[in-house]
Amino acid sequence: MKSLTLQQVQDFLRSLTSDYDVQAPIALPDGTRVLGRLDEGPLAIPGGRVDSKPTSPFFPQLDRIFAYRRGSIAMQQPVEKPLLVVGLTAEDADALTFIDEFFAAEYRDDVYFNKRDRSAVIVVSGRCGKDGGFLKIAGGDCDLEFVCDGERYVLVPYTEAGKRLAHRAPEGDEVSSIADLQAESDALPDDDRQVLERASRLLQEDRVPEEFWAEIADRCIACTACNLLCPTCTCFEVFDWTRGEQIERYRLWDSCQLAGFMREASGHNPMGEEHVRTRRRIHHKLAADRTRWGRISCSLCGRCDDVCPSGIGIKAVTREIVRRFGIEKENGPET
Amino acid sequence: MGRPPTRQQAPAPLYRPVPCTVQSVADLTPTEKLFRLVREDGRPFGHRPGQFVQVSMLGAGEAPISVSSSPTRGPYLDLGVRRAGELTGLMHEVLAPGAEVGIRGPFGTSFDTDAMRGGDVLLIAGGCGLAPMRALIQYCEDRRDEFGNVTVLYGARTPEDRLYKDDLAEWSRSPHLDCRCTVDEAPPDQQWDGNVGVITTLMPPLEVDPQRTTAVIVGPPVMYRFVISELEAKRLRHDQVIVSLERHMKCGVGKCGHCTIEHLYCCLDGPVFRLDEIIHLKGAI
Amino acid sequence: MKRVLTTCPYCGVGCNLYLVVGDDGRLVGVEPSVGHPVSRGQLCIKGWNAFHFVNHPDRLTHPLIRRGGRLVPASWDEALALVAGRMREIQDKHGPDSVAVFSSAKTTNEENYLAMKLTRAVFKTNNVDHCARLCHASTVAGLAATFGSGAMTNSIACVEQADLFFVIGSNTTEQHPIIGARIIQVCQNGGKLMVADNRKIRLARLADLHLRHRNGTDVALLNAMMHVIISEGLTDEEFIASRTERYEDLERLVAHYPPARAARITGLTPEEIADAARLFASADHAMIIYAMGITQHTHGVDNVRSCANLAMLTGNIGRPGTGVNPLRGQNNVQGACDMGALPDVYSGYQRVTDDAARAKFQRAWGVRGLPRDVGITSTAAIDAAAAGDLKALYVIGENPTLSHPDIRHVRTALQNLEFLAVQDIFQTTTADLADVVLPACSFAEKDGTFTSTERRVQRVRRAVSPIGESRPDWHIICEIASRAGYSGMQYDSPDAVMEEIAALTPSYGGISYSRLDGPGLQWPCPAADHQGTPVLHVGKFARGQGVFRPADYRPPAELPDDDYPFVLTTGRNYFHFHTGTMTRRSRLLHREERFPYVEISPEDARSLGIRDQQWIHVGTRRGEVRVQARVTDTAMKGVLFMPFHYVEAAANLLTINALDPEAEIPEFKVCAARVRSTP
Ligand SMILES: Cc1cc2nc3c(=O)[nH]c(=O)nc-3n(C[C@H](O)[C@H](O)[C@H](O)COP(=O)(O)OP(=O)(O)OC[C@H]3O[C@@H](n4cnc5c(N)ncnc54)[C@H](O)[C@@H]3O)c2cc1C
Ligand code: SF4
Ligand code: SF4
Ligand code: SF4
Ligand code: FES
Repeated sequence: MKSLTLQQVQDFLRSLTSDYDVQAPIALPDGTRVLGRLDEGPLAIPGGRVDSKPTSPFFPQLDRIFAYRRGSIAMQQPVEKPLLVVGLTAEDADALTFIDEFFAAEYRDDVYFNKRDRSAVIVVSGRCGKDGGFLKIAGGDCDLEFVCDGERYVLVPYTEAGKRLAHRAPEGDEVSSIADLQAESDALPDDDRQVLERASRLLQEDRVPEEFWAEIADRCIACTACNLLCPTCTCFEVFDWTRGEQIERYRLWDSCQLAGFMREASGHNPMGEEHVRTRRRIHHKLAADRTRWGRISCSLCGRCDDVCPSGIGIKAVTREIVRRFGIEKENGPET
Repeated sequence: MGRPPTRQQAPAPLYRPVPCTVQSVADLTPTEKLFRLVREDGRPFGHRPGQFVQVSMLGAGEAPISVSSSPTRGPYLDLGVRRAGELTGLMHEVLAPGAEVGIRGPFGTSFDTDAMRGGDVLLIAGGCGLAPMRALIQYCEDRRDEFGNVTVLYGARTPEDRLYKDDLAEWSRSPHLDCRCTVDEAPPDQQWDGNVGVITTLMPPLEVDPQRTTAVIVGPPVMYRFVISELEAKRLRHDQVIVSLERHMKCGVGKCGHCTIEHLYCCLDGPVFRLDEIIHLKGAI
Repeated sequence: MKRVLTTCPYCGVGCNLYLVVGDDGRLVGVEPSVGHPVSRGQLCIKGWNAFHFVNHPDRLTHPLIRRGGRLVPASWDEALALVAGRMREIQDKHGPDSVAVFSSAKTTNEENYLAMKLTRAVFKTNNVDHCARLCHASTVAGLAATFGSGAMTNSIACVEQADLFFVIGSNTTEQHPIIGARIIQVCQNGGKLMVADNRKIRLARLADLHLRHRNGTDVALLNAMMHVIISEGLTDEEFIASRTERYEDLERLVAHYPPARAARITGLTPEEIADAARLFASADHAMIIYAMGITQHTHGVDNVRSCANLAMLTGNIGRPGTGVNPLRGQNNVQGACDMGALPDVYSGYQRVTDDAARAKFQRAWGVRGLPRDVGITSTAAIDAAAAGDLKALYVIGENPTLSHPDIRHVRTALQNLEFLAVQDIFQTTTADLADVVLPACSFAEKDGTFTSTERRVQRVRRAVSPIGESRPDWHIICEIASRAGYSGMQYDSPDAVMEEIAALTPSYGGISYSRLDGPGLQWPCPAADHQGTPVLHVGKFARGQGVFRPADYRPPAELPDDDYPFVLTTGRNYFHFHTGTMTRRSRLLHREERFPYVEISPEDARSLGIRDQQWIHVGTRRGEVRVQARVTDTAMKGVLFMPFHYVEAAANLLTINALDPEAEIPEFKVCAARVRSTP
């Protein structure tokens, strides 16, 4: 396996811009890190997860579906240059596989795949997290992984596309194994995951009462950030704009934390009450998706906990669920 | 579950409306109109009773509308549309014969006519619920020998609010169907000599053979619980009851997330559900 | 793709965010700013949707001139010449004070400064004002009189240092959401919360004590709380002795407000009032937070002074985690005040009646004869227009035909003008009446600064090119100045305007663009090496000693009676901003609250036979509108609440044009109304 210095990684990514629309972690003036083009600001490969929604290159906040003019409709076309998205974490890549499956299921969502098809994804992991933290190694879920050993980035390809990319990388030091890094990754604590699993079971067993959700809901200011930044949130609103002779249809990130999300024209609203919406946010990830897709759709990326102004991100809420409802009252074992 | 949608129609691009032409427009009630559409390319829609389409009014967006006609009647779509707001208001205002309108779909599950075959069917519709139910009634009429007794119950707010009055009159006369109507109230200025009362008042006198009956319910949200308990009183099991549910829908194809009921997507797994499959889900009924 | 760091265009919290610009040069989204000290990567729903209206097809794209009764497209040259020409002409005929300018709390500091400079240096009148008249004029007057500075005394970061919040007349989680959410978090960790507001707002649900007092009885409530604090010896004697004056005045006055008396006025129990007093006095760090519920009254200034009295009485001022904290509504209403878009002061609250100040500005602007008389307020301007005394009005980014009280009166007044110019980003109902409409750039298309509620001066940055032919407000204002024959308003960029502001405005003296690359600076920032002032009045009040200015309770101007048995109070909801020109053109915000509505209590709805979501009529002596009933226990029996965002059912058709005698702020919070459920 090749191993590159940060400088070589940067040069390598730059060299790929001829064939790819490269979007990588960029440091913005106030320290925010987002997925952006290399000319937008200094590349900031180390630092862990980006602050923006990592799946937004494929599913942006606002996306034009078509434009209609004088009897003809111009549908959104596949992007000309394939996307190369660099800098997802293992959790983000996991989330991406979930939404890949989601957008492909039943009816294939071409507006998503216009960007996702032909794209390549590079995960960054290892000893390059925020404040020196260790980032979990994905070991898959992407085309190529840059595993940082503290100084250099080891290129680990998983797909044909990943191999082709790695092949194009400059010659660096050869590394035979990342076993020590893998061991470090395997040793990362998984408390959050366990809490999530337990909360998921409690939800599936319907052991979290309405009053609990009402209590959490009282604190939600419906900012929608938990949904907008979540890599597995895919809900969208659709609207038309008429601009002179042209009619444009767009889709726009939406949020189930809003009362209007399910309100029907008649005024009837299955999610008209705050506590139902709050439950929806957590239940969807931990129970509904598990039932439908066989997996929890929270990859524990941590964004909703950071961005929620009221302190009710999924980690906070699941900890509370497990604390309050996790212990069987009488005979049964702990769940 | 209802019968899964026919996916051979799965279009690409997914969100492209197919151009259709309005063949005719008729007033159903002061607030509802019937639009008959055909595809501009003349091809059939491939719809089944219970499915819906996404009607595209460019500039105003899309709305899900149930197909009100059975494919056994021909390759057209009947849409009975209530003026409920912006988009449906625009349909009422601008769609005249010859006008162009975009359609996506048909989408969603349909009434499982295969499973109903050979037994009695009890079709219970309230208000706008007659829109999708009409497609099923037509289907039953056209394939009459496939079913045992076909009973239609319909409730509307007032006599004037009844959809498809011509059809109702015909069904009431038909020897092949047992069609009964009721209204919540009959204002003095509207002529009415039928039953007055909510739809459940039509149910106690009915003879229902719980061994061979399938019941289908489509109506406003408040109606389901009451009708279901009447059916339970008649000893129908939940797997003999089929419901069609309405939710806020944007995409119609399981992506936008507006129509979910726990892990189900009303546009994909519904709108037609078998009651036993959803009754335990929070917020379903 | 490109991301541009800027300041949210909605409320005064002043969150920073990144506008995301797509490859086609149009805005495609928002990303949070993690490094910003206030937003810290968090935004409310308005912030998350702040990009949306910018590219709306309804944006004004070229100047319009009224010809033959219709507004038709015109060139910039023509439109600008017409504005300058007509204003001059009218002044020549009727004198300098026959014209007025409404500046805008939505525009930048630089633009407000220029608008006031245009009014004073070019048109030689002090008739300049802006919408602070409608929201915090009482604060500016009340706090200036007691503390010497009419602004939020503390910082948003202080929320995390407080042990108790007294939230009175502020629906914080909806109107200053990020501050509201921070309060919630502190209270989750043991902070105490007291809410005085008869609406059961979100914070009230979480409060340790919720006081549902009658609308407009705040002075009685506050006086009685102080009565208890004094009689139980809970005052901060040392603070009173060392930092304040005229304590005796307060003691004497509040002696007349025993809880029993205040209970009769407020509808609370004496025990509730006493509990509130004790809870407040028990805190080491008590933060008073208020907004429009305090200010928008005919006794708004009295309300503000009473809040100030309570803070001084208990020593809750001049320290982190305390203070009297008016939350300013608009993104830049603080700045518009600071810049002197007010009829009585230049920038930095330097009085127009002060000879030295006038001389200074004359020198700096190279003009003579700056007017010495205080100008008219925007509320008075409307009355003057109706009376025929005001002849011409230049409105920048305001929509008085929806935002002022009694809009039927406003419309008549504006129609009575000889000349009306309106500068806006959308064709508002005010612009519909204009003789000239000037298309301005939105916040996303220009550079400048906004000053947030915590006095934080921060950058607004251009992310996209102007839509159509629209131009930045600063540019338009300067063009008008030159066409009116003044050569002293030619700047290359807003940057240069800020240099002039800094030179003339002591509290902004140390502010320059080069220092604003980071998270901004909180004024007073008098010198280039000064780091700004997070907490005011530390050790010493701006005016030296704090002064107690007690006030007697005075009832609102119009109270319910047999014909109009309800109290109608107006305000905003979470999803919309003011007259809705931007939010109602933002898809999600619009979807959330599509229809005008009135909140009514379940008891009242039951007795009137009104169902939730039913369309009903709400009327006052001024008019009647049709709205959806929202039956909710948020509303107290006898009180209706209506947001004023909806042009199709304007709440301000109903409100009363009754003003506070000092601040001339209208009483948006109380008038008498009735409800009709027939169609
Ligand atoms: C499966 C299904 C079948 C339907 N069949 C019929 C029918 O046969 N006849 C009929 O008249 N109506 C039918 N409806 C209801 C119809 O879709 C709504 O009345 C319509 O969407 C209202 O749109 P509007 O713009 O006129 O109303 P507005 O009130 O102006 O807009 C409502 C907004 O909310 C959304 N919305 C609100 N309610 C719904 C809803 N139920 N479904 C989708 N979006 C909604 C709309 O997209 C729009 O953005 C059906 C709905 C569903 C889900
Ligand atoms: S941690 Fe929050 S934001 Fe991240 S995947 Fe889970 S739910 Fe989504
Ligand atoms: S981030 Fe928090 S406050 Fe915002 S919508 Fe989500 S749960 Fe509510
Ligand atoms: S809290 Fe205020 S400043 Fe912050 S995002 Fe919301 S509207 Fe904008
Ligand atoms: S309508 Fe979009 S998911 Fe069902």
